[in-house]
Amino acid sequence: MEDSIYGNHREAMIDVMNIIMGSIDELRANMTEEHGSDPVEHCLARIKSEESMREKCRRQGLPETTESALEVIHDAIGIRVVCAFISDVYRVRDHLKAMDKVEVIEEKDYIKHAKPNGYRSLHLILKYDNKYYVEIQLRTISMDTWAALEHHIHYKKEVGEQDKLIIAELKRCADELASTDMSMQTIRDMIRNDI
Amino acid sequence: MKILLAEDTKDLNKVVTQMLEMQGFDVDSAFDGEEALKLALSNGYDGIVLDIMMPKLSGLQVLKEIRSRNILTPVLMLTAKAEVDDRVEGLDAGADDYLTKPFAMKELMARVKALTRRGSQYAAKELSFGDLTLKSESLELIASNTVRLSIKEFSLMQTLLLNQEHEVDNNYLIEHVWNDEKDASEETVWLYVNFLQGKLSYVDSNVEIKGHKGGPFRVVINE
Repeated sequence: MEDSIYGNHREAMIDVMNIIMGSIDELRANMTEEHGSDPVEHCLARIKSEESMREKCRRQGLPETTESALEVIHDAIGIRVVCAFISDVYRVRDHLKAMDKVEVIEEKDYIKHAKPNGYRSLHLILKYDNKYYVEIQLRTISMDTWAALEHHIHYKKEVGEQDKLIIAELKRCADELASTDMSMQTIRDMIRNDI
Repeated sequence: MKILLAEDTKDLNKVVTQMLEMQGFDVDSAFDGEEALKLALSNGYDGIVLDIMMPKLSGLQVLKEIRSRNILTPVLMLTAKAEVDDRVEGLDAGADDYLTKPFAMKELMARVKALTRRGSQYAAKELSFGDLTLKSESLELIASNTVRLSIKEFSLMQTLLLNQEHEVDNNYLIEHVWNDEKDASEETVWLYVNFLQGKLSYVDSNVEIKGHKGGPFRVVINE
């Protein structure tokens, strides 16, 4: 059998993934106690499969080595946190950035600055214990809905006349969902603060 | 519906004011250009009737000044028969209609009604304030990011932007945004102001809506 591209790191990677998931669970429990509602709708974590990691190395012209998988590519460990409201996304982000042994390598806020196609999400790349990179995507339920549905629609991303229309309409859907997201948060805040 | 009437001939001013009031309009009367400009900048009107020949500031100067400040309230100019150039200049400067003196009172009333019926809403496809753009065809609210507003949110944002020079009170908003719907209340206005405040911060704009529950409200730019 071929050796794993992750060498003998797999178990340590799973540990790191569990430590971060555990810390998110702790925040969820605290916030549930404080506000009576869980800020996180659901949470997914995975180690990138052997096959997709090797495929990614090939695509990027990298040798299929443990070094490529753990040092050059940053999403061997991936976590997606889907929150109820926009403000929860930032609460979870702040919590993650303040964790012990965590160094923030990169933060991209596609919520404040949506991608031109309408994609919204907050991307973090963290390094845990100076050893393993972890890619974290944080978004709300409606941002997740858009991303999931957009993924289901197999449209060509190059630019023909028909495609331009489809891209513009998908962006319109994203902007409408974003608007609804903010309205729901405003209603929640009004009830919570009794403003 | 509120009308600003600027006419320096005292008798004419009085008669037109009374006639407009009889038609159900609220009327603010000004007797010179300076007073008219001051009123136009500090209140929201549904229509403005401007005499061209006035002391202190001419009707044309007032018109140019209010249009330069993004105030799109429909304007009807009153001109003397000989003043063809003034009429052309007035229309070019953003007047919506004109009437030459002497005029029949019936015609002035009919024109003011037509003017206010049209409204200013459709005059601008796009309004800008600070880093913010509001597009009327797509209902988009744009700064460093874009969201799509609902019709009522759009209409409220538009009304606040069109009255950026001054505060707008609850009653004005209920009349102009909610068309006096009987279910619309102070609570409704406050909820929608909150919706817009949330969305302004979501698109990361430097524009903010100031005001507390019960109004009045005003848009401001945070430097």
